[in-house]
Amino acid sequence: MALGDTQENWRVGVLFSQSGVTSAIERTQLNATLLAIEEVNAGGGVLGRRVEPVMYDPASDPKKFRAFAERLFQVDRVKLLFGCYMSSTRKAVLPVVEAHRGLLFYPTLYEGFEYSRHCVYTGAAPNQNSLQLARFLLSAYGNRFLFVGSNYVYPYESNRVMSDFVSQGKGKVLDEIYVPLLPEQKDFDRVIARIKKTSPDVIFSTVVGSGTSTLYRSFRAAGFDPTRMPIASLTTSEAEVAEMGPEAAEGHVTAAPFFETMSSSAARRFVMNFKDKYGADAPVTACAEASYFQLHLAMRAIGKCGSDDPEQVLTNLRDFEFDAPQGRVRIDPENNHTYLWPRIARLDRQGRFQIVWNPGVRVKPDPYCVVQSLDDWSADDLPLIRP
Amino acid sequence: MAIQILRDLRGLRVHVVHPPDAERTKLVEHLRRIGCMVEIQWPVPDSWAEGADIVLLAIEHDVRAEIQRLLKSDSSHRPTLIAVVSYEDPSTLQLVLEAGAVAVIERPIRPFGLLTNLTIARSLWLERRGAEKRVRKLERKLAGIQRIQKAKAILMDGQGLNEADAYESIRRQAMSKRLSMDDMASAIIHANELLQYRAKND
Repeated sequence: MALGDTQENWRVGVLFSQSGVTSAIERTQLNATLLAIEEVNAGGGVLGRRVEPVMYDPASDPKKFRAFAERLFQVDRVKLLFGCYMSSTRKAVLPVVEAHRGLLFYPTLYEGFEYSRHCVYTGAAPNQNSLQLARFLLSAYGNRFLFVGSNYVYPYESNRVMSDFVSQGKGKVLDEIYVPLLPEQKDFDRVIARIKKTSPDVIFSTVVGSGTSTLYRSFRAAGFDPTRMPIASLTTSEAEVAEMGPEAAEGHVTAAPFFETMSSSAARRFVMNFKDKYGADAPVTACAEASYFQLHLAMRAIGKCGSDDPEQVLTNLRDFEFDAPQGRVRIDPENNHTYLWPRIARLDRQGRFQIVWNPGVRVKPDPYCVVQSLDDWSADDLPLIRP
Repeated sequence: MAIQILRDLRGLRVHVVHPPDAERTKLVEHLRRIGCMVEIQWPVPDSWAEGADIVLLAIEHDVRAEIQRLLKSDSSHRPTLIAVVSYEDPSTLQLVLEAGAVAVIERPIRPFGLLTNLTIARSLWLERRGAEKRVRKLERKLAGIQRIQKAKAILMDGQGLNEADAYESIRRQAMSKRLSMDDMASAIIHANELLQYRAKND
């Protein structure tokens, strides 16, 4: 038996959808997780032991997420779980993680107002993306907003936050439309009709998954001008852009801590390695970047404490800063969320995100922040339009 | 209203009356995480602390007497009360109800649910206070109306006035003496009692 075999691998659970409504974006998260694992193993593993992913495809279904989480903890006996995109899937999985005293690493932006000792949140909380996007939109486009989102908790809460910013900016929310998670063209025909009727300055979209592409394509087909009335989003990423094509994508705006086109050496190295492994056309998203650095962070913590016991990993996670592709990140021990670097980008004619705002400011996560002021310093350097 | 309550949670003064243990530590941490200002108290105090907006009170049977003493103290300045319970049996529930709890947190204490319970408790307490104020105001008003009725009856009897004239008489006298109608009515009632009393003794 070779030396490597006498030591057990570090087995970690990985749960990202490879099919279903949010598979496009979750596949980028899966890819990034596996890339990070490969890199760790190529470097000799953690304390001489390889990292072994144990994964299932929950097909964008919260019930399946829950069932596979049970299996991972009970049968596969993992202690650490990397996964989830939609909040409904995180909510389904978390009680299982808590019951087994495991640790979930959740690499996706979400609506905030949550804390669990058994979860590390590495995606943006609303104070790390919504405020910044609101300031940008109010100053660059106007204050008449139309909201369109998928019908579940995240869009409702995001709209509430954005609505508050719009009223602070003395603007108006002209309409708030929710489409099913699996929408059809007719759902967006209704949206287009409302846009024509109300003439907003900005369309704030919290549509997630495959419906995103349909929305943007419908917008294009209706002949609207994205330079005057963009679709602004927190969730539309390189993955959704790949589905919709550059023509439908051009001119629209997204806020996120990471974009594929970022020029820092850490970012470029990550993107290069990602595309080497998965192909030049493989989209590298902010959610992938979070999946990537959270895996590395977790492995570094294991290396420090010599164990994958979730309590110890959590304690060790909080002790250091980590050079993620987006910049140096840190887990906030107060709330298990992450200090992140908000940015805003606009899609160009080739369907690539060109960064239009990058203040180089790291924002502390504040998941229980009910209302933020437009004047908050964390969106400084963005002109604030006073009514 | 809901959003305003949530906004006010930041800076809300929460007193946690709970035995010192790991659960209390985690509870306090999470309350602070939500944004409240937390103070800890144990053992059970004799009276409601000044400056507490919300009190989280652990319903423990071995300090039942102390809890009841606390509940008997000054009920006019009761803060919002949330009970923390380990059991659901009737005698515990009785204590919870006597305490006037407007929300309940079960042990083992989890972060999830604290924010919702704080919000609901605060909302119920504010509603109740508003209702109590309205009731007191209505009671005062009702008593006032009854006094005026009685004064009118006295004038109608004693001076042979009809109801409208009696009312008018009270009103004019009140104005000329710069008294409220209610005070004038009380004066008439008291004077009448005095005079009746002397009449009886004659």
